[in-house]
Formats: sequence, C-alpha cells, structure tokens
Amino acid sequence: MFNLVVKDFKLGVSPIFLIMPLLTGALMLIPAWIYFLVPLYFCWITIPNMFGGFKAQNDLIFTAMMPVTKKDMVKARITVLVVLEILHIGIAMIFGMITLRLYPELTYYFFSPHMGFWGLCMVMLAIFNLIFIPMYYKTAYKFGKALAASLTAAMLFAGIAQWLGIRSAFLADVFNGAGADRTALQASILIAGIALFAAFTIAAYRIAVKRFLKVEIQ
Amino acid sequence: MLALEVRRLNKKYQGFQLKEVSFQLEKGYIMGFIGANGAGKTTTIKSILNMVHIDSGEVRVLGKSMAEHEIELKQEIGCAFGGIDFYTRSKLKTLTDVIKKFYKNWDEKTYYGYMGRFKLDENKKMSELSTGMKVKYGLALALSHGAKLLVLDEPTSGLDPVARDDLLDIFQELVADGEISILFSTHITSDLEKCADFITFIENGQIVNSAEKNEFMESYRLLNGNASQLDRVKEQLISYKINSFGFTGLIHSGDYVPSSDIRATIPSLEEIMIYFSKKEDAYV
Repeated sequence: MFNLVVKDFKLGVSPIFLIMPLLTGALMLIPAWIYFLVPLYFCWITIPNMFGGFKAQNDLIFTAMMPVTKKDMVKARITVLVVLEILHIGIAMIFGMITLRLYPELTYYFFSPHMGFWGLCMVMLAIFNLIFIPMYYKTAYKFGKALAASLTAAMLFAGIAQWLGIRSAFLADVFNGAGADRTALQASILIAGIALFAAFTIAAYRIAVKRFLKVEIQ
Repeated sequence: MLALEVRRLNKKYQGFQLKEVSFQLEKGYIMGFIGANGAGKTTTIKSILNMVHIDSGEVRVLGKSMAEHEIELKQEIGCAFGGIDFYTRSKLKTLTDVIKKFYKNWDEKTYYGYMGRFKLDENKKMSELSTGMKVKYGLALALSHGAKLLVLDEPTSGLDPVARDDLLDIFQELVADGEISILFSTHITSDLEKCADFITFIENGQIVNSAEKNEFMESYRLLNGNASQLDRVKEQLISYKINSFGFTGLIHSGDYVPSSDIRATIPSLEEIMIYFSKKEDAYV
C-alpha cells in the first residue's frame, strides 16, 4: 500500500499540488473573507486536475498490471487524498492564526478562522469525501459526475453553515463572539469535525472498495 | 509443466461473448494468439490477468489458480499492452524507481543489462521513445523482476519491419533456456510464422484451433479449382472466394480428398484467418 502512495506522489500528483496548500492557504490573509472558499479551492482545482491526470495517463491499467490488490489501490488513493486535504487545512490554519494576530481589531461578518471554523471545514471535506470517493469508484476513472455531486453537497453545507452563522445569534456568538475565545469549546468543535471526517472517509473507503471490486479494468 | 492454462473461459458482454475459451501453453515456448480485430484477444488476455471478471472458467499460471493467487502470480508475470501508454511525461528512471518497489525479485543488474542491450536511455521520457523502444522498455522491466510468463497484447503492432524482426529475435532468445514462456497476441500473422511455437486462433469469441504451428497450418488446405469443382466440395469448405478462374477456398485437411484433381496447398496463417472471418460474415 505504501508503494502505491509513493507511486501517486512520484508519478500522478504534480508537485504544484503540493505547493497549492501554500498558495490557497495564503488566501487566509484576506481580511474577513468567506474563509470556506479556501479549502474549497482544493476541491475546485486540485481534484479535477489530479484525477484528470490519472485518467489521461492510464493510471488504472498501469496499476492493475502490478502485483497489488484492488483494496490497496483504493486505500492508497484515499490516503493521498486525505494527505492533501490535511495539508490544505493545516497550512490554511497556520495562515488563519497569522490573520488573527495581524488584524486583531477586525469585525468578522463571516466565520472567523478560529478552531471551531476549521471543525466546520473538516465536516465540509467529510461530506465531499463521502460523496466523491464512492461515486468515483463506480468506474475508477470518470470523475465528472462524482465531482459535481460532491462539490454541490460540500458547497451547500458551507453556504447553509455560513448563513446560519450570520442569522443565528447563538452560532454567531459561538464562532465569532465570546465563544471564539473559549478554547475548550473551539477545540471540541474541531475534534468533532475531525471525528466526522474520519468516520465519513472510512465509510467512503468501504463503499468504494465494494464498488471497485466489481469494476472491469478496460 | 504448463506456464499457462486457460480452461473453459466464458465472459458475456452486450453484443460480444467469449465462449468456452480453452488453451494451454507449455513452459519455455512462444504461443501466438491470433484473431481479427474484435475477435476477443484483449478480452481473453484481460481475463487471464484478472482485470475483467469472468462468468465462468479457470485460469492457471505456473500450476496455480490465478483467482486464488493473483498477487503472488503477478510477481511472475510480465505484461504489456501495445498502444496503451502510461505516464508518458515521466523519465524512465522515475518510472523504474516506482515500479521496482512492487517486485520482490527485482534485480538491478539484470535491469541495467537489458537497458544497455536495448540501448535505452534512462533519462529519456516515455514520450520520446519509439514504439519499438517502448515495448523493449516494457520487456526490460518484466525481465528484471524475473517474470516467467510474458503476456503481451499486440506488442508488435505499430512497429516497422526491422523493429519487429529485432523484437521477435529477442523473444526467441528469451525462451531458449526453457524458463520463460511468452503468450503474445497479434493480427500480424507473419510475426508468428517467424517465431511462434504454438498458435491459438480465436474468432468471434471462440477458439477455432490451438496447436503446434506446423500442425495448425497443416490441419487446413487451401483449394484452387474451377466452378464445377467448387460444386463438388462446396459443402465441405469453411469458406471460399470466387474469382475469374474459378474459386479459392479453405477446407479442413480431414475433409479434403487427396485423390481429387483440385489443387491443394498448405495455407498461410493469414489465409486461415481470412477464410475463417469470411465464414463468420456468411452467417451474419
């Protein structure tokens, strides 16, 4: 499985996608922006380009010819995806911390980049993974429909969460008001987000393996 | 010992099916797998490699069931698909570094030996290689991980005559010590006349014949005669073509009566393929 991950990073994932977390992360420096957009750039740019590359380079047949199980093929690809997602979120978090210190007096209309917000981003990526991965593994090369569906769901979640964050006084207080300084509250939202991300991604992996076992490699 | 045994393989697609495909390849020999485009060569090869799910049947490689020992057996199989390129913009060096990690019997010395012999430059990209060089790179990889069975889908297609001849010589050298066996599919029958030991002929998803090369060709006769002679043998012919001099038709040797005054010759593989495909057309 490890060799497959190495294979993806050496052949399939262009180095630019490892720099992208820095470039999109830097968008966190825009004062009081809609920060949900930052991790979404990963889904908008990296995912289609990377999966388009796998398709164009016949990665499926290339990998299937080697002595590897189909289960490991799925596990490795999801690992690559998760590594990139964590890189995006992790680096954006660092930029977020800089932003909080850079502009301490800022009034946030949208979510401020505290830990709780990153918990919501993890939920957004959890939803993305849960839809994208199983749909992609119906063929293991077509990604268009899977991307459209998973992006729509992730963006809907982000949109609704942000709307509620503005409309609900309670949520506004949790994420931008007094709650933002309560570390325990913020950390628990982040941990809950991470837990959901892990659970959804594992569920996606299980469904994907079942589907991929039925795929005919053409 | 059998390097490859395919037993009663069945696979149904919409509009096409493999029916009871069976053949065997002895260790240390080259088997040519021929058939027209769409006859089922690639589907059979993909079934052997467990890339498509067969409806029924069994594939055994080096005495072991492929379904049960796929990963273990893939360590001993080298495969290549002509016309399908992978990671064409990566340097051979990068590709090799990735690929070799998957094989426990990888031998660096053998690899550099073949790279030198095939005049392959590791710093070149796949896209910079000629078709023949790509096949050779595939062979170098397969041989470096100690593959005992090479399954090659149309390795000679797209190659010029010189490159083809060169490759066929390499194939013959590889099987010379009896350890390596090769199954390669092609529709270029002259390749097989040069180097195959056995021929398996597939037509419309069914194996027509699988035999030693000369035995295979001698099991048919190509008849030449006039119109009245055609009427006498028409029923026995696999198929025939009418021309201004009379007819030319293919017949099973068993159905041919040597005493008849019709001129008979041993057909080439190409002629066998053509007349069989004509037979299929006649039923359409």
